[in-house]
Amino acid sequence: MGILTVLWEKWVEFRRDFYKITIAAIISPVMYLIIFGLGIQTTSHGEPYLHFLIPGVVAMATMTGSFGAVAQSMSVQRLYEKALDQIMVSPTPLWQFILGQVIGGSLRGMYSGILILLLTFPIKTGLCYNGISFLVMFLNGMVFSTIALVLSFLAKSYSDAPRYTSYIIMPMSFLCNTFFSTEQMPVGFRQVISYLPLSQSCDMIRKIANGESSGSFGFIILSVYLIVFGLIAMLFIYKKKNL
Amino acid sequence: MMQGIFHLLLLRKGRIMIELKNLTKQFGDFKAVDCLNLTVETGEFFGLLGPNGAGKTTIISMISTVLLPSSGEVYIDGHKLDRKASEQKRKLCVITQEYSMRQDMTMDEVMQYQGKLYFLPRKVIREKSDELLEFAGLKEYRKRTVRHLSGGMKRKLMICRALLVEPEILLLDEPTAGMDALSRRQMWNLLRQVNNRNMTIVLTTHYMEEAQVLCDRVALINRGRLQKLNSPSELINEQGPFAVDESSEDGISTHYFHNKEEAIRYLEYSDKQASFRATNLEDVFVECAGRELG
Repeated sequence: MGILTVLWEKWVEFRRDFYKITIAAIISPVMYLIIFGLGIQTTSHGEPYLHFLIPGVVAMATMTGSFGAVAQSMSVQRLYEKALDQIMVSPTPLWQFILGQVIGGSLRGMYSGILILLLTFPIKTGLCYNGISFLVMFLNGMVFSTIALVLSFLAKSYSDAPRYTSYIIMPMSFLCNTFFSTEQMPVGFRQVISYLPLSQSCDMIRKIANGESSGSFGFIILSVYLIVFGLIAMLFIYKKKNL
Repeated sequence: MMQGIFHLLLLRKGRIMIELKNLTKQFGDFKAVDCLNLTVETGEFFGLLGPNGAGKTTIISMISTVLLPSSGEVYIDGHKLDRKASEQKRKLCVITQEYSMRQDMTMDEVMQYQGKLYFLPRKVIREKSDELLEFAGLKEYRKRTVRHLSGGMKRKLMICRALLVEPEILLLDEPTAGMDALSRRQMWNLLRQVNNRNMTIVLTTHYMEEAQVLCDRVALINRGRLQKLNSPSELINEQGPFAVDESSEDGISTHYFHNKEEAIRYLEYSDKQASFRATNLEDVFVECAGRELG
């Protein structure tokens, strides 16, 4: 019930800012697709680079969409509007609030990812997507919504939200299997990067798009991130003395 | 039937609704609330008074679970309050000093959101929102977003939002701050009406007149500690119900008397410009806070 309330609140936000959200969701990914996929036309493993790039950009759009939806909204609610106080004092169980935020954020991420899929649909790439692709996108969105939630609880000022984006989201966008394979990275660094959630999501979506099996390792990694950050978010909302 | 309800209300009246036990809140080295012990009875209109930084808002924040105490406990209707205690939180509603609302929601959406957070059925939310917004004179602005409302309208909306869920306890942190005199009087009447329905109200305010008019009991807080606790009339009697203000180059000094004749005699023999008046809660507050500040 509390989850539906949070989803309703997210829906109100989405409905009101529909155009802004939609434009913001597609600008950067489309730029990457144009510059790297169409402008600098290269090949990867004998295939057009665009085939490699699209699944990565879809995963990246899911990540930025989810993270942005939760980090910005929660930071504003907690630090500027003080609207989080209304939630804290209400009888809605706080775990339902957390879960609602995570699902709502993930749906926003999926919206961004699906927009990129629709925009690239006319390009004849031969890439295919199925239910598991969408499941990966959803799980990826949940992981980054949860990370955003934890960071928004840690934020001390409104300007911290964009700072976290620069520290976490931007490096991940470029390094995590999005524009080039992690295999090309130096040993040691490669292992670290390949265990990050976006690397796994990119890898799984790409494999499915090329008709391969996604395997279960990526799901395990994403689930571990989700559980760990979910528990931290719970700990903060129930136990943090000065939220 | 009515007699039964009335009897039930009487039984409930006098029961402890809020209990603060050794409540302490520390921010680093600073103790905002220091081992506070207080009880508020069901249906009581209770005031928390104190100078800026006395710890009033911190106390309200701890009762509403926005802040957790460094030590000590809060009990609501006999049950320990924490962030998991949904049953106790169902009884509570808070009107904060700041406009704690989503600024980009319309009035209707604010009311809907509040109703949903308290698990009210959709029909009840719609009907009661209509009634409350009409009562507050806000109905014609219901499609307007919060950011486009005046300060007074936002304040009224916060009260409508709180009353929507019919809480047993209403926590009010400076509810009339920034309101004009007329709006403040309207607010007083409204608060009296809801208090008459046996709602327990805890109010923090800077306006001593407000506390004197509305509160059954007040607690004077300074530096997080309880200085005095009694009804406004008793506090005034303790201080001395008659006051003589003496003006000099150094400023105004006030003398308090328990006896009217004594006060008038003092006035007659005073060689300064002096005037006689009744003591008010502000005098009690100034004396108490002034003494503490040294």
